[in-house]
Amino acid sequence: MSRFLVSLFIGLALGVLVGLYLGWVQFPVQYIDSPAGALARSYKDQYTVMIAAGFAQDGDVAGAVERLRVLGVENIPAYVLEVTERYITNSQNVADIRLLVQLYEGLAGRVTPLMEPYRQVRLP
Amino acid sequence: MSEYNPRTSKYRRPRSYFSLPGLLIGLALGIGGALVFAWNFAPVVEFDTEPWQLDRDARARYIVAIMLAYSYDGDLNLAVQRLIDLRLPGDPIQAVADTACQLASTGYVDSSSGLRAIRAMIAFYQSQGRTGCAELLIPADSAAPTTVFEIVVPTSTLPPVATKTPTPEADANFTPTPLRVIVATSAPQSRFSLVRLETFCSVELPGIIEVYVQNSSGDGIPGQAVRVRWVDGESTFYTGLKPERGPAYADFQMQPGLAYTLDMPGQSNASDSALAATPCIVPETGDSSLQSYRAVFRPSG
Repeated sequence: MSRFLVSLFIGLALGVLVGLYLGWVQFPVQYIDSPAGALARSYKDQYTVMIAAGFAQDGDVAGAVERLRVLGVENIPAYVLEVTERYITNSQNVADIRLLVQLYEGLAGRVTPLMEPYRQVRLP
Repeated sequence: MSEYNPRTSKYRRPRSYFSLPGLLIGLALGIGGALVFAWNFAPVVEFDTEPWQLDRDARARYIVAIMLAYSYDGDLNLAVQRLIDLRLPGDPIQAVADTACQLASTGYVDSSSGLRAIRAMIAFYQSQGRTGCAELLIPADSAAPTTVFEIVVPTSTLPPVATKTPTPEADANFTPTPLRVIVATSAPQSRFSLVRLETFCSVELPGIIEVYVQNSSGDGIPGQAVRVRWVDGESTFYTGLKPERGPAYADFQMQPGLAYTLDMPGQSNASDSALAATPCIVPETGDSSLQSYRAVFRPSG
């Protein structure tokens, strides 16, 4: 009987290790139905650039704010500022930086010195 | 009959240290219990959510963003690749049409920005040969209407020249002949244009529309009517009634939650984008306020 119990205990211990490996590493839970706020940072950045492109087309500040609100960001100008300056610091795509600078200027009515070289003048 | 061999008898074999049934039962119980624990009680914390994992609403917003970017850069390959990354069921372009249809049937199109987004989606999927219901649910782009009026104008027939032979007198000198003239109306001429519309966020002036009407030199013109319209009403106000702000100035206080269009009645077209007193953050101080607008009208041409 003790032989059976010892084997059961060893099997249980091995099983727990195998099960945790499978459940956490090999087949972890994949979340679906996530809110936009849970997006990975790179996708949040990509989304923000797309909204900035829309803003560059229509100049609709309220529309851009409404769309960025989906990301669950509290301070949208501060968020756009952070993304824009990170793009500039990391030497990302210049066209994307220009769009972001334009969006930030539309939201805040000014640009930071770091953004100044990427600013685009819009003639009325 | 086989001969009894004492060496192969199970009573003679050396006893194993482990019980195989015990080991298997333990393994099964361990794996099962650990999976329940790992999936239900302590799942891996998600920190790299991809767009395809978004819920229905957020995915629709992501599609809108893709379409806005496409309408800006016209990069079809990039737009399609982004749609593919969303792992939409079936044809990704038809999924855009279905999403546009779904959004067009909700309050999403109540704002001009929503309407513009839907139009961008329609332009995209129609250019790819797909159809949806959105184009039936929202009005087409407003073009200057050409109304045809039919006007019946009486024309006179001159009396015949007198001859030597008397002719019986006619009952009337004029015989009306209906003539159909088609007059097409022309697009309204705008004397003024909205040359600048910018936003600002201020604690002192929350949710206000500041309007300046100027002549070509930039001097203010007092007494000019400016109109704001919202979903179930409108208000007209005049420049120059606040002399301390100059003769060009007029303002209007917006209500949160309403969208407004701005024009000079009979003198300008309405603003393309809706104005709304949405919450904003003052960049300098971080204080909350309502979005305000500054608009400048100047003579066209």
